[in-house]
Parts: sequence; structure tokens; C-alpha cells
Amino acid sequence: MASKGAAPSTYTPTPTKKTRPPIFSDSDVDWLRPDGRGFHQCRPAFFRTGAVNSAAGSAYAEFGNTKVIVSVFGPRESKKAMMYSDVGRLNCNVSYTTFATPVRGQGSDNKEFSSMLHKALEGAIMLETFPKTTVDVFALVLESGGSDLPVVISCASLALADAGIMMYDLVAGVSVSCLGRNLIIDPILEEETFQDGSLIITCMPSRYEVTQLTISGEWSTAKLNEAMELCLDACSKLAKIMRSCLKEAASASQD
Amino acid sequence: MGVPDASGDLSSEMEVDAFRRLFPLRYFERHLSESVRPDARPLGRARDTTLALGAVASAHGSALAKIGSTTMLAAIKMEVMTPSTESPDEGCIAIDFHMPPICSPIVRPGRPAEAAPVISKQLSDTISSSGMINLKELSLVSGKAAWIAYLDIYCLDADGALFDAALLSAVAAFSHLQIPIVSLNDDGKIVVILEEDDGTKLEKEPVNREKRKLTLSSIPFSLTCILHKNYILADPTAEEESIMETLVTVGLDSSSRLVSFYKPGGPVLAYTSAVQDCVALTRQRVKELQEILDEAISGMEID
Repeated sequence: MASKGAAPSTYTPTPTKKTRPPIFSDSDVDWLRPDGRGFHQCRPAFFRTGAVNSAAGSAYAEFGNTKVIVSVFGPRESKKAMMYSDVGRLNCNVSYTTFATPVRGQGSDNKEFSSMLHKALEGAIMLETFPKTTVDVFALVLESGGSDLPVVISCASLALADAGIMMYDLVAGVSVSCLGRNLIIDPILEEETFQDGSLIITCMPSRYEVTQLTISGEWSTAKLNEAMELCLDACSKLAKIMRSCLKEAASASQD
Repeated sequence: MGVPDASGDLSSEMEVDAFRRLFPLRYFERHLSESVRPDARPLGRARDTTLALGAVASAHGSALAKIGSTTMLAAIKMEVMTPSTESPDEGCIAIDFHMPPICSPIVRPGRPAEAAPVISKQLSDTISSSGMINLKELSLVSGKAAWIAYLDIYCLDADGALFDAALLSAVAAFSHLQIPIVSLNDDGKIVVILEEDDGTKLEKEPVNREKRKLTLSSIPFSLTCILHKNYILADPTAEEESIMETLVTVGLDSSSRLVSFYKPGGPVLAYTSAVQDCVALTRQRVKELQEILDEAISGMEID
């Protein structure tokens, strides 16, 4: 509750029980995930392209309570102040709605996501196909339900494909959390707050190339190997779902 | 000069498209003289409108409104504040309208759209002057605690008539709003009673057991029209708004009383007859919107 520093003028009334029982204690293995999934089971992924008509390409992604929209604009004229460039530029921005997080306005804490999104996509896009111009990738997290960044990245690569930007392959992102002795894939918000370590892989499954690998927290080498295997496998499955979404959209527009 | 004859082959198709880009005004006027718009609508007809309540699980009330391609997502979060000394038994509403960069090619990050603060102000004015919400219902403990309703509206896709869609999503979010049950703890702070605690002991009597829904007395709706020469075009698209710049927005409440009227400049001066025509179109539209809202609410109750 509001006890840090000067009392704010408004506050969110929090539940009476301040501490919930820890969802998991060190030795216990037969613990259930809050949404009843198996440890190595991802949330059902839903993708839809063409969510925003005024954009060149767009996609909407929904993984459980994580809901994201990405719009792609361009290739269009770079800003006047930009230097001449032989290759195209990629400009990324990730923002949160004020109601995305349980406490209002907390989403703006994730300032690093814009740059992470940029770095995850950069390697997959054929920048030389649109010299002197800029492609803008804007993401809005409508609701944050955990694993936001990998969902944003996957959704963004789908939006780029929808906009007809040339890419080597779709980029799929998956994260794994380490909780004590267990590895859980595609963690929800609650699990992320309890995690000891996290690993995010974004990769191009058909080329077997990793565009971004982020590890934070406490890991052992064996755990890390296992987690990477898990992530890469999930990425290739996720990319299949993304591909089928694109195919569906293409066949629907032909009819 | 007329539209080139569309004889079906690709070259003439290209010419129509080129004509549209090069002479947009003449392209539109050619349509208007036939009493039809490029998207095949008659002049006075609004686009298809849909409404979905409860789109955001993390908010206390939310709605997604779509008018044609224009999409608005509104969500309300309730927080507790100390009421001001002038009105100790009233809560308050804070309305903010956002145009994130995803919604339109014109908006870039760090450079907010000019239209956003204007629509924000228009929304607060319309909602407060319609008297839809009785601020006294937001009071919890007189002089000590009251609700502040943070209403945030995000434009997800901007294709004209932004205010109409924003207002529709806002009133729908208020009708979906479910106020959490709270009680007063020993420190005089308001705390939420978790729903699952209902069966077990309740240490404190809830402050607001009966007041979980707001009574919305007269709901405002609006319609934006374009005035161009003698034509009145209801519910314009972004393209129409960019070509013909005189807009009139009429807000009426459910009993057809005038709540707001905006005509922010523009080259066409509105005569009384044009204004009356706009109001008449709005009156018709309000009936449609009321039905759409009622349908969305009754759809929620069945679930």
C-alpha cells in the first residue's frame, strides 16, 4: 500500500490479505500453475493480421490475458534530421495503456522494450530492400498478462509480414522462467513476480538462427541448456501458428 | 470533368485511383452529385457500429466500440481519493483520451496528436454537462473517502468521427462498470473485500454493498457531420474529413435534449437550416446507438 515517500493523492485499494500464500515452496514439485497449465505448456496463442486499417500492416496477438496490437507504417520518408543511409531504418516503439497493469500506469516502467524489440527484429529484416526510408513498428500493450515482450516481438514480425516488408523469416519469441527447481514456459504475470531467473529467446526457426537471447537472474548451466532447448522448440511451434495465420489471411483475401 | 469511364481493364482502374489522389475534392463532388459516397453510403447514413463490453479484464469497466474502421477501447479503473472540502460527498471522474502511434500514420511517438487533448476536453465537457453520472454516488465516506474514476480511452484505429466513437465507448464503459466492494480498516483506509471471502467471516462491514453499479440517468450520444456546399455528410471517414474541413458535432441525450454542439471553424458557415438538419440526423442516430448499447448490455446479462 501507499507507504513509500509522500502519500499520493489517490491510491488503489488493495485486498485485505496483503500477502498471498507463496504459490510455490522450494521442494514442492506437485504444485499447479495458477491457470492450471503444465510446466512446459504454453498458453493458447491467437493471432490476427489486419487489425488496424490505417496502417500499412498490423497484427493483434492474444496469449491468455496478454493482449497486444502492433502497427507497421512505411517504408516512408525518414525524419529530416536523419543522415543519408544506404539501407533502410527500423524504428520501434512499445507503449502500454494506463489500464494494462494491475496498478494504473505501471506499464511505463518497461522503457527498455522499445530497444529490445528493435534489436530482436533488426536481424530478420532485409533493410537493403528499402534504402533511405524508415519502417516504423509501433506496439501497444492493451493488457499485460505476463511474457509481454516475447508476445510483442512475435506479433511485430507478423505485422511486418502483413505490411509486405521483406524478411528472412518470421521471428518468434518465447520466454521461460526458473522457479526454484522448475522451469515454466510462457509465464503469466504472477509467475514472473516470483521467478528466480528468466530467459527470453527470439529466433527465426526455419533458419535456426537466434536474433536475441536475454538471460537474467539465477541459473545453473544444466538448467540453462534445458531452458534453451525448451524455448527453441516452442519458438518453432509458435512460428507454425503464425505462418498459418498469414496463410489464412492470404487465402481469405484471394476469395 | 467526369470520372473516366470504368470499362473494366486495369488501365482505367488505375486512372480512377489516380484521379482520386490528384483531384480528391472533384472526385468526391462527382459522387455527391449522385447522392452517394465513395464507400457506397447515402449521405446521411452512419457506418456499421459494433460494441463489446468487458474487453479489458484488468479494469473495473471497459468497452470496445467500432464505427466503421474507427476503433476505440475505453477502460475505467477506480481509485480512492480524499474529496475536496467544497464537495465532501462527491467523487470525481478523470477522463483522458489517447492517440497512440499505432492508430494513424500521422501520429509519431513523442509527438502527440493535436486532436487528442481537444477530444479529451470535449469528452469531459459532454459527460459532465449531460449529468449522466451523479457524482454523489461515487462517495464512500463523506469528507473522508470517495471514488475517482479514471476513464482512459485509446484510439486503436483512426478513421474519422473520433469523438463519436470515443463518446460511445466511454458511456458503454460506464454502463459496464462494476465498483469493487470495499470496507474501512482500522487505519481509516479503504480496502477491497475479496469476492471469495464472502462465505467466511467479514471483519468489517462493507461500505458500499448496494452501490456497485452507477445509475446512468441520461446517456449522451453524438454524431459528427461534414458540411460541404449544400451537402451534409453524416459520420465522415478520415479521408472525407481531410478533404472537406467543416465539421459539426451534435451531442444529444437519450431524451433528445441538446447536450453539446461543436463547430470548430471550417470554411463553410452553417445556416440555421443546416444546423437543424444536423440535429435531425443526430436524433435518428441516437436511437440507433441507444439500441446498440441496450443490446450490448443485455448480451452481458445473459452470460
